[in-house]
Amino acid sequence: MSQINRIGKGLINTDRNIRFSFNGKEFKGYEGDTLASALLANDQKLIGRSFKYHRPRGILTAGSEEPNALVTLRKGAHAEPNTRATTVELFSGLEASSQNHRGSLKYDLMAINDLMSPFLSAGFYYKTFMWPKAFWEKLYEPIIRASAGLGKLSMEADPDVYDKGFLHCDLLVIGAGSAGLTAALTAARSGAQVILADEDFMLGGRLNSETYELDGTHGSEWAKATIAELTAMDNVRVMSRTTVYGAYDHGVFGALERCTDHLASSDGKPRQILWRIYSKRSILTAGSTERPIAFGNNDRPGIMLAGAVRTYANRYGVTAGQKISVFTNNDDGWRTAHDLISMGANVVAMIDSRSNAAIAKEMINKLTGTNVILGGQVCDTSGRHTLKSIKTTNGQTIETNCLAVSGGWSPNVHLTCHQRGRPTWREDIAGFVPGSDLPPGMSVAGSANGTMTLHAGMAEAHSVAKNLVKDMGFKPSAHKLPKAEDEPREIAAFWHVRDSKGRAWLDFQNDVTVKDVKLSHQEGFRSVEHLKRYTTLGMATDQGKTANVPALSVMAECTGKSIEDTGTTIFRPPYTPVPIGALAGRARGQDFRPVRHTPSHKWAEEQGAVFVETGMWLRAQWFPREGETHWRESVDREVLQTRKSVGICDVTTLGKIDVQGSDAAAFLNKVYGNGFALLAVGKTRYGIMLREDGIAMDDGTTARMSENHFVMTTTTANAVAVFRHMEFCRQCLWPNMDVNLISATEQWAQYAVAGPNSRALLQKIVDPEFDISNEAFPFMGCGEITVCGGTPARLFRISFSGELAYEIAVPTRYGDGLIREMMKAGEEFDVTPYGTEALGVMRIEKGHAAGNELSGQTTARDLGLGRMISKKKDCIGNIMSERELLNLDDGLALVGFVPVDKSKSLKAGAHFITKGDQATLTNDQGWMTSVCYSPNLEHSIGLGFIKQGSERMGEIVIASDQLTGQTQDVEIVSPHFIDPEGERLRG
Amino acid sequence: MAKSTLHATSALNGFHQTWDGVELSEVTNKALVSIAVPLKGEAQFQTAMKKAFEADVPETGASSFSKDKSKQFLGLQKDQLFAVFDREDDYPTSVISEALSDKGYYTDQSDSWVVLRLQGIKCRKALERICPLNLHQDVFAINEVARTTMEHLAAIIVRDDKDSFILMSPRSSAHSFLHAIETSVKNIS
Repeated sequence: MSQINRIGKGLINTDRNIRFSFNGKEFKGYEGDTLASALLANDQKLIGRSFKYHRPRGILTAGSEEPNALVTLRKGAHAEPNTRATTVELFSGLEASSQNHRGSLKYDLMAINDLMSPFLSAGFYYKTFMWPKAFWEKLYEPIIRASAGLGKLSMEADPDVYDKGFLHCDLLVIGAGSAGLTAALTAARSGAQVILADEDFMLGGRLNSETYELDGTHGSEWAKATIAELTAMDNVRVMSRTTVYGAYDHGVFGALERCTDHLASSDGKPRQILWRIYSKRSILTAGSTERPIAFGNNDRPGIMLAGAVRTYANRYGVTAGQKISVFTNNDDGWRTAHDLISMGANVVAMIDSRSNAAIAKEMINKLTGTNVILGGQVCDTSGRHTLKSIKTTNGQTIETNCLAVSGGWSPNVHLTCHQRGRPTWREDIAGFVPGSDLPPGMSVAGSANGTMTLHAGMAEAHSVAKNLVKDMGFKPSAHKLPKAEDEPREIAAFWHVRDSKGRAWLDFQNDVTVKDVKLSHQEGFRSVEHLKRYTTLGMATDQGKTANVPALSVMAECTGKSIEDTGTTIFRPPYTPVPIGALAGRARGQDFRPVRHTPSHKWAEEQGAVFVETGMWLRAQWFPREGETHWRESVDREVLQTRKSVGICDVTTLGKIDVQGSDAAAFLNKVYGNGFALLAVGKTRYGIMLREDGIAMDDGTTARMSENHFVMTTTTANAVAVFRHMEFCRQCLWPNMDVNLISATEQWAQYAVAGPNSRALLQKIVDPEFDISNEAFPFMGCGEITVCGGTPARLFRISFSGELAYEIAVPTRYGDGLIREMMKAGEEFDVTPYGTEALGVMRIEKGHAAGNELSGQTTARDLGLGRMISKKKDCIGNIMSERELLNLDDGLALVGFVPVDKSKSLKAGAHFITKGDQATLTNDQGWMTSVCYSPNLEHSIGLGFIKQGSERMGEIVIASDQLTGQTQDVEIVSPHFIDPEGERLRG
Repeated sequence: MAKSTLHATSALNGFHQTWDGVELSEVTNKALVSIAVPLKGEAQFQTAMKKAFEADVPETGASSFSKDKSKQFLGLQKDQLFAVFDREDDYPTSVISEALSDKGYYTDQSDSWVVLRLQGIKCRKALERICPLNLHQDVFAINEVARTTMEHLAAIIVRDDKDSFILMSPRSSAHSFLHAIETSVKNIS
């Protein structure tokens, strides 16, 4: 099909043909076209089907407010549904398809819904399908969802790349129309850092849609020159294809830049970028949006907004029909008729709802051959797939295939409301304008502020920008505004034609009619928010940009209130749809969050270690050896080998906090429940830290390296939380203490070396001048040493496994080297690396508490460490730990458990019930926290809390696993399964 | 008895790559020592800095240099700074403690951070994608320093030349940090 509706060159590049397809049919357009303008040029008016009634729908607008012409772009995984044809920049090979129909677009089987419309009025699903109850989810809802809706997702992973970023400016100008360009230029010439963002690919706003003259040149030429000047300035960033979609706190704005949507392929580059823009000031110059008038059957393809018809003519050189009519309540409609006639288009009728419009006298002579009806209204239309005729209230039927409707313009106030700002009503323009409670730093100018005419809007933008830059300390440049006209903009509010018999549509996207709004009111929904939820008015991709104000007027009529008193719904971000992919940005798959590697990671990989995520850390879980077919084989071997000879585990992940200062000891005394003031230099002590409420917070060891220098270790999970807690204590609770903290977790590669041969192994590594014999370096000793010929190291004689054990630390850059050297040195002892599983088994065998026991619900007393909380000193949580309910006689105690039937495994999480009692919450005695198979005892063992546990040794209770419904008899035993006297670790 | 010496490895094996307008390389030869100023010891510390290095104590966000330019002091927060200098041995804290004696508290941080230099005319474009700070040349001057986050990771950023930035982030997540920067560079090139 040739482009029969192309009547001029507009601002497009007619030298460059572009081929594209719609519903598989090939079309041609030009560079600079949108999909909508190219389809109109090819006389393709039927674009989609409506949401509920499957009514044929065409193009209504020429911008992002489009409610009707939603298409699916591209195919397969790249398919993007619900794309507005009016904003899609045409590119070669573009494939678009229509949505929401069964069968072809022209003959949609679901159009039967339209015949059933009397039964499908607003809120019908609230009133019907009430019974039988079970049918709702299984039958009714699936049917409704299948027969209504917009586009469909591909259900494949999005293959495109997205990015995000951060921008800063003195002034953010939102919208690059005449006011935006003026504001940006004023600010930029003063030297301020300016960001100018606009959603269109061609900046200039309505200057590209109109025939305005500025300083004697065409408005679009002035825009082009201004953009060129701005682009050339170092202090300006011009962002086309960028929608500022949200205004957030502190001058922060969200913006979506569409980088490659206008190209056939992204070529691996980000398709879209989600920007966070930090601004000192902002000017909203987002213009205004035209709205329709509601009358019978006003939704047929070919019925469009008058401003859009003008845009297609002036910018794209496209006439929206061969016989065009205009229906308006304001002067702007006359401009459409004038421009079309100037281009040679056939305007058959000009209908103004005002009988005494002043503009008519001036314009009527220019509209020769046009049927001019003043004080008239369009009350009905005909034509199934495209408009064929209109009927007016004076009884005329006019053959026409395009009706340009103008119900006036609504300022785009949305971003002014994102922080709960309320717009106010202006009767003279019949529209809402920004209220006084704007987001901090924001100003508004141009038609977004209700200043609807060209020159006045530019003058306002210039003045506002000048004041803002002055306010920020810049000297405004002295330049004159271009000479421009103030076009006629008179309006007499007129919202819907009462004499219409057919359904009069307000919200095209959600199929909401005047009757629906009246019904909503009749049924008691008096608030606009209720109206919105009941009728779905103003929802979905367009958020009612063209529908809200006309619908409010109908509601105001129903309630007898003014539109201002009726109010609007709250506008929230985003202004236009933002793809979920863009919100996710890079944070997908493996890039969802960072990964932390231990110093021995590379070596562990070489050993074939199986890794586990512990927070962000990747830790070796176990090290399988050839022939081992099950993880338990590896873990059992690692445990047995360590207890028999020696094993090595990377424990770098434990938090390490360097504590220095003349008050460091006193500080630790307050932070820990037990005393640290008298800890000798060269000694390490186990400590338990309480929260302010007396609950156990974390545990670990702290070594005193010198009089004023301590090194604290925390659990891996709580490393950050403990550091933060201590900083709070230091800075806020005790600011007069001389103490300083810094994390040293990353600084030191630390390994646990455990087992009877651990000392012998280390003696091969530690430089000879350091005596680490039992006498010279006893249990809980610590010190600075050197290893391997002078490498600085720290040695701590501490044990989590219950064996003779050490932790040795070297600067992280030597971590890889140290594990290799220790494994080499340990060959003669049959050394084994062990992972977190074996670590866990050995600590359970020893009865040491870990994260499962320090769960944020337990006290030091529960853990059997009650006596550690010194009453001779004050510490965080000390007083609160004495609360009565935390010290009941039948309180919990940490004990060990073994299955009565040793062939059975214990279940972590099982709750304990006294034998003979029912497994109910009332009879709950406690719970199993940790279980493992002990290769040393050759059966399952566990740790857990049970009431009065320490007094119930030997008692058999029931462990009831409520998740699986399994129960088993377990015996209460000491939590110290291995070496209860602690002889090994002191050996 | 110890016979072999330990081999040191950098976090990213000395990574270095160039793209059009951007160069990214790991800095492996620097010592970083954290210096904390004792409570009510500010004046003595200032005097010690003057005496030892003829350097001012930098304000938070600024940096100062020793007279011979061999040491840079980064003001990271109130009463805390990092000394940055060429690493000559495994005892960088002694370099500072010998000069300032007991006027501060010192902690070796040389192995805590991966240090990268991002330079070239497009380096700011790349940083826009991950760094929330305003790095405009008039706002973030040469030798200024800031703590921030990049891709969920803690980071320290220092502008060390017209179009050059030093980026530091915890060493354990060095590969993630590098990946984030590389992705940014690739996305703008």
